[in-house]
Amino acid sequence: MTNSEDHVETLDEFAMSFFYGSRSDTGLKFMKDLTESEVGDFLTEMLTGVAAAIDDGNVTGLTERFLHWQKHAYLGHLGKFRFQYDDVPFVKPSKPLADSRVALLTSSGHFVQGDDPEPFGVKDMTQQEAENRIIEFVGSDPSLSAIPVDTPGANIRVRHGGYPVGPATQDHNVALPLDVLNTMAQTGVIGEVSANAYSFVGATSQIGLRKKIAPQWAQQLVDDEVDLALLIPL
Amino acid sequence: MSVGHVQRAIETGGISTVSIMVESFAHIPGLMNLPRTLVTPHPMGRPTGAPHDVKRQSEVVAAALDLFTSNDQVHRTFPGPYRSVD
Repeated sequence: MTNSEDHVETLDEFAMSFFYGSRSDTGLKFMKDLTESEVGDFLTEMLTGVAAAIDDGNVTGLTERFLHWQKHAYLGHLGKFRFQYDDVPFVKPSKPLADSRVALLTSSGHFVQGDDPEPFGVKDMTQQEAENRIIEFVGSDPSLSAIPVDTPGANIRVRHGGYPVGPATQDHNVALPLDVLNTMAQTGVIGEVSANAYSFVGATSQIGLRKKIAPQWAQQLVDDEVDLALLIPL
Repeated sequence: MSVGHVQRAIETGGISTVSIMVESFAHIPGLMNLPRTLVTPHPMGRPTGAPHDVKRQSEVVAAALDLFTSNDQVHRTFPGPYRSVD
């Protein structure tokens, strides 16, 4: 492929194009953090894995290699990681699990149909627009969507410009396991699910979240009289 | 990282917390010193399991809640592969 008549796309440029570029794909954007040689190795392993899977129908090995490279790419961020702490906040549960009210909070960007958080005042923002405006998201404070835990799955929506939302669109439980928790409450594994689950778009201003927003959300769970909280980042 | 800030704030506020993270974020719990974390062998976007893999999703959530029995900071890894095997 050429970007112009005079320019032949390099492998580095090809990899970068998945990071909010001409081939934008949040499930493959990690390739930008691989070296050119590693991109070559990754693509070779994926292609040979697909060729093998065509015959045996088994994608386990292919999936494991995909995971290997995805993890390898994200480890490249270690040197840039700013938020390291020496202390460990730790509170022992006050009740047995079977007597506890459990809250669910995720950074998956889920919300209830009819209660769209409308980022930047945009009604019915599409997933594509969320990806296009990812820089604005990471520079802004997040909003927290309340999701009543008895909301029918058909009424739960997801939008997030930073990760592949396809699986969460097919089944919210991959990131917002309401059905699992409701079943656990019905069978007595946990006492109850707190009336509202919460979700926000994790691609957000880290400073604002840490200093101002997170303590407010913690107080919300205190007000909900929650005993335990299950948190799921994307 | 975002949820790490929220988890620390909630635990500091007096509520016990546990988080479920995919393998690509396995370095976060140690760097942010989070109290309880379960790391799953799943691609980004599927922390509890594949779509409609109810068995895996249930096992992952149960394994995460089991960490509340620990008296100390705990980071555990859920065994692979990605999809549950019947």
